[in-house]
Parts: sequence; C-alpha cells; structure tokens
Amino acid sequence: MIAGLPLAFTYPLALWGLLALPVIWWLLRLTPPQPQTEVFPPLAILARVLKREETPHKSPWWLTALRLALAALVILALAGPVFNPRETLATEGRALALVIDNGWASAPDWDKRVATAARLIDDAGGKGAPVILALTAEKPNSDIGPFDATAARDRLAVAEPRPVPVDRAGTYARVAAALETVPGATVAVLSDGLAASGDEAAFAGLLGGSAAGLIWFAPETLSLAGLTAIDNEADALVVTAVRPTNEIAPALENIAAFDDKGRRIAETQIAFATGQARASGAFRVPFELRNDFTAVKIDGADQAGAMRVLDESSRRRRVGLLSAAEADTAQPLLSPLYYIRRALAPFADLVEPGTVDLEQAIPALIDQKPAVIVMADIGVMPDRARLALTEWLEGGGTLVRFAGPRLAAASADDDLLPVRLRFGERALGGSLSWTEPQPVAEFPPAGPFFELAPPHDVQVSRQVLAEPTPDIVEHTWANLADGTPLVTGARRAEGRLVLFHVSPEATWSNLPISGSFVEMLRRIVQLSRNQGRIDAASGGAGAALAPYRMISATGTLGPPPPDARPLDLSGAEPPVTLENPPGLYGSEEGVVAHNLLGADAALEPLAIPQTPLPVTRAAYAFDESKPLKGPLLGAALALLGLDTLAVFWLGGVFANRRRARAARAAAVLPAVFAAALALAALATSALAQDNDSRPGDAQAIAAIEKTRIAYVITGDPAIDAVSRAGLAGLTQYLAAKTALEPGEPAGVDIAKDELAFYPLIYWPVDAAVPVPDQSALARIDAYMKQGGTVLFDTRDQYSNGFDDRSASPATRYLREILADINVPPLEPVPDDHVLTKSFYILNGFPGRFNGSPLWVEASLDATSREGRPVRVGDGVSPILITANDLAGAWAVDQNGDPLLPTVPADPLQRIYAYRAGVNIMMYMLTGNYKSDQVHVPILLERLGQ
Amino acid sequence: MAPVGRIVEPVTASDALARARLRASYVPDLLVEARRVVNTAISGWHGRRKRGIGENFWQFRPYTEGEALARIDWRRSARDDHTYVRDNEWEAAHTVWIWADPSPSMLYQSATAGVSKESRALVLALALAELLARSGERIGWPGLCDPVTARNAAERMAAQLAHAAGLSARPDLAVVKRFSGIVVISDFLDPLDDIQAWLAPLAGRGVRAHLVEVADPAEEEFPYAGRTEFRDPESGERLTAGRAENYAGDYRNLYRARREELSAWARRLAWSYTVNHTDRLASEALVHVHLSMSEPTGLERPGR
Repeated sequence: MIAGLPLAFTYPLALWGLLALPVIWWLLRLTPPQPQTEVFPPLAILARVLKREETPHKSPWWLTALRLALAALVILALAGPVFNPRETLATEGRALALVIDNGWASAPDWDKRVATAARLIDDAGGKGAPVILALTAEKPNSDIGPFDATAARDRLAVAEPRPVPVDRAGTYARVAAALETVPGATVAVLSDGLAASGDEAAFAGLLGGSAAGLIWFAPETLSLAGLTAIDNEADALVVTAVRPTNEIAPALENIAAFDDKGRRIAETQIAFATGQARASGAFRVPFELRNDFTAVKIDGADQAGAMRVLDESSRRRRVGLLSAAEADTAQPLLSPLYYIRRALAPFADLVEPGTVDLEQAIPALIDQKPAVIVMADIGVMPDRARLALTEWLEGGGTLVRFAGPRLAAASADDDLLPVRLRFGERALGGSLSWTEPQPVAEFPPAGPFFELAPPHDVQVSRQVLAEPTPDIVEHTWANLADGTPLVTGARRAEGRLVLFHVSPEATWSNLPISGSFVEMLRRIVQLSRNQGRIDAASGGAGAALAPYRMISATGTLGPPPPDARPLDLSGAEPPVTLENPPGLYGSEEGVVAHNLLGADAALEPLAIPQTPLPVTRAAYAFDESKPLKGPLLGAALALLGLDTLAVFWLGGVFANRRRARAARAAAVLPAVFAAALALAALATSALAQDNDSRPGDAQAIAAIEKTRIAYVITGDPAIDAVSRAGLAGLTQYLAAKTALEPGEPAGVDIAKDELAFYPLIYWPVDAAVPVPDQSALARIDAYMKQGGTVLFDTRDQYSNGFDDRSASPATRYLREILADINVPPLEPVPDDHVLTKSFYILNGFPGRFNGSPLWVEASLDATSREGRPVRVGDGVSPILITANDLAGAWAVDQNGDPLLPTVPADPLQRIYAYRAGVNIMMYMLTGNYKSDQVHVPILLERLGQ
Repeated sequence: MAPVGRIVEPVTASDALARARLRASYVPDLLVEARRVVNTAISGWHGRRKRGIGENFWQFRPYTEGEALARIDWRRSARDDHTYVRDNEWEAAHTVWIWADPSPSMLYQSATAGVSKESRALVLALALAELLARSGERIGWPGLCDPVTARNAAERMAAQLAHAAGLSARPDLAVVKRFSGIVVISDFLDPLDDIQAWLAPLAGRGVRAHLVEVADPAEEEFPYAGRTEFRDPESGERLTAGRAENYAGDYRNLYRARREELSAWARRLAWSYTVNHTDRLASEALVHVHLSMSEPTGLERPGR
C-alpha cells in the first residue's frame, strides 16, 4: 500500500517499465507524419501564396503527450493496481470454522455479515484450507462441513436470517465435534451481539478443543429494539418495548398498528429515557379501532423482534342475524333486521349468513360461534337447522327472537320459545277493537332490564300473546301496562332464550325506533358470551393450529415458510423455533398469536469470551477493494482512439465533408441498432388474459339470455306436458300482445336447478306426486325470499266439497308443502290490487275453470285506500295460489290450437285466462309500477304542467 | 488517399484526330472572316456571301455611273429599261496558324477531369484544322508545317505531329505573316510577362490571335487538404504545405487574377480568349472559337 493513498499493486515490478517513457518520447518526436505527394502544374502560382516552407519535422507536442500518457497507462495497468485494498485477516490456521449467528437480531445488517464471511472464505480458499460453516439459527441437522471454498461460498449464498432466537449451545457443540477432524483451525465467530443463556458454556466448548485462534466479529452498535408485550387496557392499548441494556442515550421509537390487510391504522411513540432499557407507549384510539389491530411494529426496524402480532382474545362479541323476509336484499330499509342492525352495530360484530336458505344459513351462522343469534320473525325452521340451533343454545348461546306475522302463524309447539304462545296475534286498537294501543309498564325487578329507564313513549298496537302459565311472571322481562308480557326470557341449559312479543320493525309498535330498544339489546348482548375462540374449537381442545401468517426475518407479515409446523397448544407455551416461527396460527376465522419476545425478555450485549487462544477483533464491513486494471486499460484504449482521431485530423481526413458525414452516420448506426433491439424487447412482452369461465356458465347464460317462464317438473309426464304447452301458449300470447317476448318455457327441478333465473315458477300441484324433501322446499323458500314468485295451481276448482272445511287432496298436498315454507299472510286478490290492472283490467283470473280466487300476499296497509284507484304496496307477492288450472287454458298444440276445453266451453273464458296470464307476467316484471302510475296526474299537476 | 492529379502519357495523334473529327462533325463549316481581300488572294471554295471575285453568280444590280461598261450584263439589261451589272460572289481563302502547347505541364490530368490537358489541346487543334480545311482555308502549324490548302490538311498535320520529335515549347512566330489568324492552345501557366513578350509581336503585325486556355478543374479549384507536397512537372520543384486547405482561397484568387489579366490583354488587342476545362466538353471551346473566328473583327466597320 502506498502511504497516504489506498492503492496497492499486484505486480509492482512492472512499474519499472515507466523508465521506458523517455525513450518512447524521443522516438515519438522523430517520426513526423508522411505528407501526401501531389503533382501540381501551377506550382509557380502556389509558390507565391506559400511563402514559407511548412514542413514540420515533429509531431505536435500534445500528440506526443497523449501518446506518452497512453504508454504510461498501459504500464500502470500491467502492474495491477488495486484501490482500497482489503486487509487480510490472520487466518494462519490450517482450516477455518465460520460460526455465524443468523437469528432475528442479525437481520438488519445481514448483507454485511455475508460479505465479511465471504471474504474469510475467499482467504481460506486461497490457501486451500477446508471451511466449516455453521449457522446458529438453522435446523440442528443441517450440514456444517468441512467444505471446500466453493461449496462454502454456495452455502453462504443461500443462508438467510431467521426470525427466531439463536441456538448457540447446540450449534457450537456440533462445530466443536467437526473441529476434531480438522485440528488447528481458526474459529471465526460472526455474532449478532446479543447474549443468550448458556453462552459461556457454549464458547468454552467451542474454543476448548483443537482451535488455533479466534477471530471475533461483533456489531459495533446494537441498534435493535423489540416489542415484548401488548396489553389491551380499558382506554388504551399499551405496548412495551425493550432495547439493548448497553444503550443509554434517550431514544424515541415510532410504533404503528396494522389491520389484517396490512393497512396502517394507528400510531404512537415510545420514549426510552436515559439509561432505561424498557419503555411503554399507548395507542389511545377507540375500542372499535383497537379491535382491528392485527400487528404492531416499530417503524423502520427490519427485524422480527420489532413486530408483534395480536390475536382475537380481546375481540367483541359476535351477533348472528337471521330473517325470513323476502325484502332483505331488495329493500334494506324495510328489512325486519334494519333496526336491529342499526342498534347492534356500534358494540357488536354482526354476522349474517351468505344464504337465505335456513337449512344452510343456521349451521353457517353457528360455525361463526356467535354469542347471540337474533331471529326476526321466523316461524318454521328445517329440522336439521332446528337441531343445530338447539344444540348451540344449550351449549351457552343466546337466542333472541322477534315476533311477526310468520311467527304468529306458526304452530305453537315451538320449543325454541321461552313461553308457549297463542296462535295468531292480538291487535290493540283499530276499528273492531275497544282496546287502545298499550304503553310499556315498569320493568319487573326479576328481569335483566330492571336498571333501565322504562320507555313511556312506546306504544304497542299488536303483539303475540303468551299462554298464561304459572311461571309466566318469572319469565317476563318486560310488561305492557295491561300486564301482558312484551319481552320474555328463559334459560335453556347453559343458554338463554329471549322473545320480543312484537315485530322488529315499526309496524306492530314503535319500540324498535325508541332508545330503549338499543339499551335492551345492549343489555342482552352484555349478558351473552362468545362461544369460545373459533380457532381453539375448530379441531377440538388441544389441537395443533396450522401456520397462517408468519413474521419474516425482516419484520413483515407473510405466508408461512415451508418448514413451519402447526403450533401445538396442548402443553405449555411453545418456544419460538424454526418449526414454530413467530406469527399468527390458525385460519382466517381465528388466529392465535405466537410472538418472538417474551414479556420479561431483555436484550443483553454479548461479551467476548475469555480464552487463552489468540484473539483478533474485527468489524463487519463490505469488501470495498477495487482492481483498477480494467479501468486503466479502458482509459488507455480511449486515448488510443483519441490518438487515431488526431492522426486522421492531422492527415486531413475530416476536411472531406463527405467522409465526415459517413463517419457520423457510422457512429449513429449502433445507437439506432440498440434502440431497435430495445423496442423489439418491449414488443415481445405479451399480454396474458385470464380465463375465468366456470362450469355451468353456458347453461346459466342460456337461462338468462331471454326472460323465461319456468314450471316445476312434477314427474308426471301428462302434467308436465300440459304445463309446457300452457306456458308456450302464454308465451305466444305475450309476444303477440305485449312488448315482452319470452323465450322457451323452462322446466326446473326444484331440488337441483338454479331457480334465481326465472321471475315466475308455475307449480301444478298434484297429490299423486311425492312431497319434495326438506332441502328442495328450503330452496323454494329461499327463492321466494330472494324475490321470486311461485304460482301454485291446484287445478281442482270443481273438486272441492261444499263444506268450508273440506279440502281436496291437492289442497291438502299444498298445505303440506307450505307448512315447511315461510308463507306470508294471504288474501284473495282485492279488486284494487295491481294484478287487476297491470295490463288488462280484469275482474277475475279464470283458467280452464272459473270461480277460484287468486290468492296473493296480503297488503300491509289495506286501509289506506281512500280516493285511490289502486292499492299502494311495495314488492311483488312471492306466492300466488289458484285452483283454476291456468296452464290448461293456455295450453296450445303445434298449430296454436287450444289443447283442452274450458269448463264451461266458453271461448271468452280462454281469452280471459290469457289476459290473466298476461297480467300476472306483467305484475312479475313491473311490480308496483302500475300502482305508482296513478300518481302521475298529481305529479304532473305539481310540476305545473 | 489517392492523389488528386497525375501525369499521363501523351495522346497519340491518330486517336486525337479521330476525336477531333468527331468534334468537328458537330460544328458547321467555319468561314473565317476575311478582312483583307488582296493579300491572300488565293481563291477558296466557299463563297463569302458578298460580292467579289469569284466564279459563281451572286446578284444583279443597277449599273452606276463610272463602272466599267464591260461589266454590264447585257442579257439581263435587255429585258427591261434598266442597265444591270452582274456581280459574282467573292470566294477567298484565309491563312490560319494553329498551335497547341506541347510542354510537360499539359500532360496533367486530375481525378475529376476526363482527359489530360494535352489531349484536350490536341483535339481542339485538330478539330479546328478539320473545320478550316473543310472551308478551304490555308492551315499551318508554326515550327511544324507551312500553310497549305488541302482537304486532308488535318490528317496531314496529325501525321506530321505523330512523327515530329522535340517540338519546341515556344516556336518562332515570325513565320506568321500579316493578316493571318493564329489559334494558340495552351494552359498559359508560364509567367504572364513571358507569354506577352512571346505573343505581342503578332499584334504588331496585325495578326488576329485566338487564345484558348485549357485548364484542369483541380488547378482552378485547388481541392487539396492536409499535409501535401506539391511537385512541378516541368521543373521538378517541390513545395510542402502543412495544411493545404488553408491556402486554397489565396491560390484561387491568384489563379483567377492571372486569367483575368491575360484575357483583358487579349480583349484589348481584339483577340478572343476562350477557357476550356478538361471536365467539360471540347465542343464548347470549339463553338466559342468558331463564333469568334466567324464574326467580323469590327476593325473595318466604321463607327465602332
């Protein structure tokens, strides 16, 4: 190394070549460039211009200097200069044992460690010494050598920091064993600077054997900080952090909190006072926001200890919501759950099933382990769902039910009610009643609402009544002023059952829009408790949890590494190892946090071990030596190019414009070529397109390409043929008379086919066909709730007896079907119903038979009809029932002639039957549009038209 | 880098003659304006388009008093009341000397030129000889052959040139008699004073000279650049220019000034001066000389 300059030469003897420079200089001066010889007859004239003779004997001085510099550069390059030469460490041993800490604390400057280790391996490889390479945070069965230098370099290249503590004792013991095979080795310890338990014994074992020397690498400063604890307190989330105990300067760390999508949602600061190694900070954010925290991290710290994950141990209660009303999705404001949702959302996690099919919805809801399930006006439930619900309830759940038309119509022997109910509801007030709407009395002291202020402004106009039993008083949580119960509750094993005797929307009472409603619900939710953690219950007690999101060595949440194993929670707190790296274990539904640093962890600096061996201390550093041979030769080449240009210029080449242009063009050509290559490379990037089609798409597209009317395939070929022909006839009639041009009628199997594609399903009821099973009926129920309409046709108008109570087999069959479906209250089509006006003005809906009324869902406010031609109502009736055999009247053959005679044989009756079909179809597709049309004259008047 | 110019072999006379005949065939017959009738009173073949001594009828004109009666054409006069004189067309020959510079500098040919100066000069000389011979003029080459009138005068001249050796660079012009014409074809690169001293006696004798300068484009444009050594083909003298392009401007000025001065001198003597570049066609010079030989000199026209 040259004094003062970080420069050294590989072959210093080549510098003697610089002595040749004067000779080169002398030679260069002697050789002038050769002139161009030209014959020139008018020399006499030229001679008068060219007075002095201009024939230089030597090159210009700058050309000589250029060539001398060129020669000097070549000589210097041959001497092999190295800029910033690295110092060679004293690895005089016959072998090298590299022991590298790759625990979490070594992640921030891992590259530096690798560079240092690579240098040591290079030096050892230069001497041909074997290398033992051991990483302290690897698996105990990993191979540690001895390797040759190439293999060691390859192994070093794939080594990476791990988010786990180091295991010095185990690794050092294995290194010591390996050292027995290569005595006299130099041991290089690349430590992370953090002490661990058992260090002294580990070092004694490592250095006590046949080691010849120790090279000790430790980071100069331990700029680490780790999070040791997170406590969710009443008003804040308190985070505790530690730093190495040898750092005494005051420091300030920024702490950020992230939600499960990695979004940064809160931040705070932790201040370390002077000499303090442990400090705390608090997130003072609302409880709701704290519930979303998934991870807390120290800003700017890229190691695993700076991140801590949170699990759901402090989450809110979950409340499942269920409703049987068809308006839920289409008209959220009219949904029975609307007020419940608004009341519960601020203090509970609301869980709603993705389906309206109760048979699937209730088990799906119970899978979410809710603390409370709220059922709004559900009368009947499939048996399987009922069993699951009962089991959940007795396991400690809280079931809250609300009354309503469906519950009132359901059979009374429902064991999921706290009290026995009377059939039907009781109306208070109204034109046929002497009673008045009742206020709410004081809350009885036995109930849980005793502390709440009674809502004196609440009026109840309709309720379901409990059978008066001896224990009714103790089940009553709230009373009306006349003593009838408003809210009743009962215990079922571990669980609790609550019934509100009014509907959850404001039709039966104004309780749902009062403040007491929120208070009562909050009280009930407080009484409930979560049904355990989802994760712990998912596989039974003591189960192992699969790795879900792991903290990487650089302090980020990511997918689990390949060697991560499920976390066994059965025993004591499992340690953080490579098999169980820190992170979240479980699944999307629930996780358990497994964190790196324990609550009492401290970061102690590691002291250099006491040993009689010669010790070299060194620092981690990148290899910054840079051989200068290449750049010098490059500079010499550039000078050579300059010299060539200068010679050309002296020879007058550039005076020739044409050639100069050619030279310029030649210089531009490579650039153009390179640009063309780059463009070609860009053009090759192809666009990838996803194919997201799924099986069944073709049928679905075919089903919804055109509006189609569907009929239920009963299994009886005769009935199905008539249904198909009838709907085909109606389709033709619709196409001829209206703007609607439906497609071919579709036959559906209610047990399998997707029903949601059809606005109307025609169901010819036949007593000979077996009743569909529960799941098929549940699908029909769901279809009706989602806005579809089923037209039941018993086709037996003249088969009924004359007795009012008598029922034909088809009617009994229909009752059997409807018993498992939540059917709204029904009424015969009133003469001001939209159905009578949606296309034709009709008085009746005849089919092959005449006389049977068409039953539709009862309108809500049947009284508000003064001065209006059409009843106002929302939505479309989910069910239509007739006995007139509509399809029989519509049925046509291939030629368009009627298939079946009408009874009586009246051609006009068939016309009316078609008109009834048109009206029903228009009602399906336009809903209450016609009833809204009656407002048009008033609206136009208001607009001043 | 290839040199701009070179010295080429002298052209053979027969080749030059063939090219000269080709050039001459493009040019109409040349009628040298005869200024004097009497001294070169050897009849030629071609009418002079004016009355004079000759054999062919030219015109009838009214008889004027004082003319010899013998000249009256009685046959014509008998046809009306006037008396007519019959005029014949003047037919006379002229002596024209032709000389082309044989000096070594004429052998120069640059890369852009098609032929050497010597070749161009010889072609011009023989083409003129051919033209003049067709007109029946007497043609001579100073120092080589005396003026003769012959149809094949150009051919004979070429034959004599082919066999002549050691032609003098400056022939004695004393043989050129009064009122003859002379065509001097050279590059006129010698010092102006020498040229003027050589040609000035001709003017004193009333000889009309036509100077044709044959120039190579390289001599005029000076396209040299860079370090260049120039060599004079006549004297062998050498001159080296470090950066030749630096001198191009000055040189061109001097070169043009020489030409201007020579041409002004010729104009003053009512001589014609023609410049022909070897990268252009020989016909250009031929036509120019043709015109200047055909036109009246203006000396005999009063008021000019």
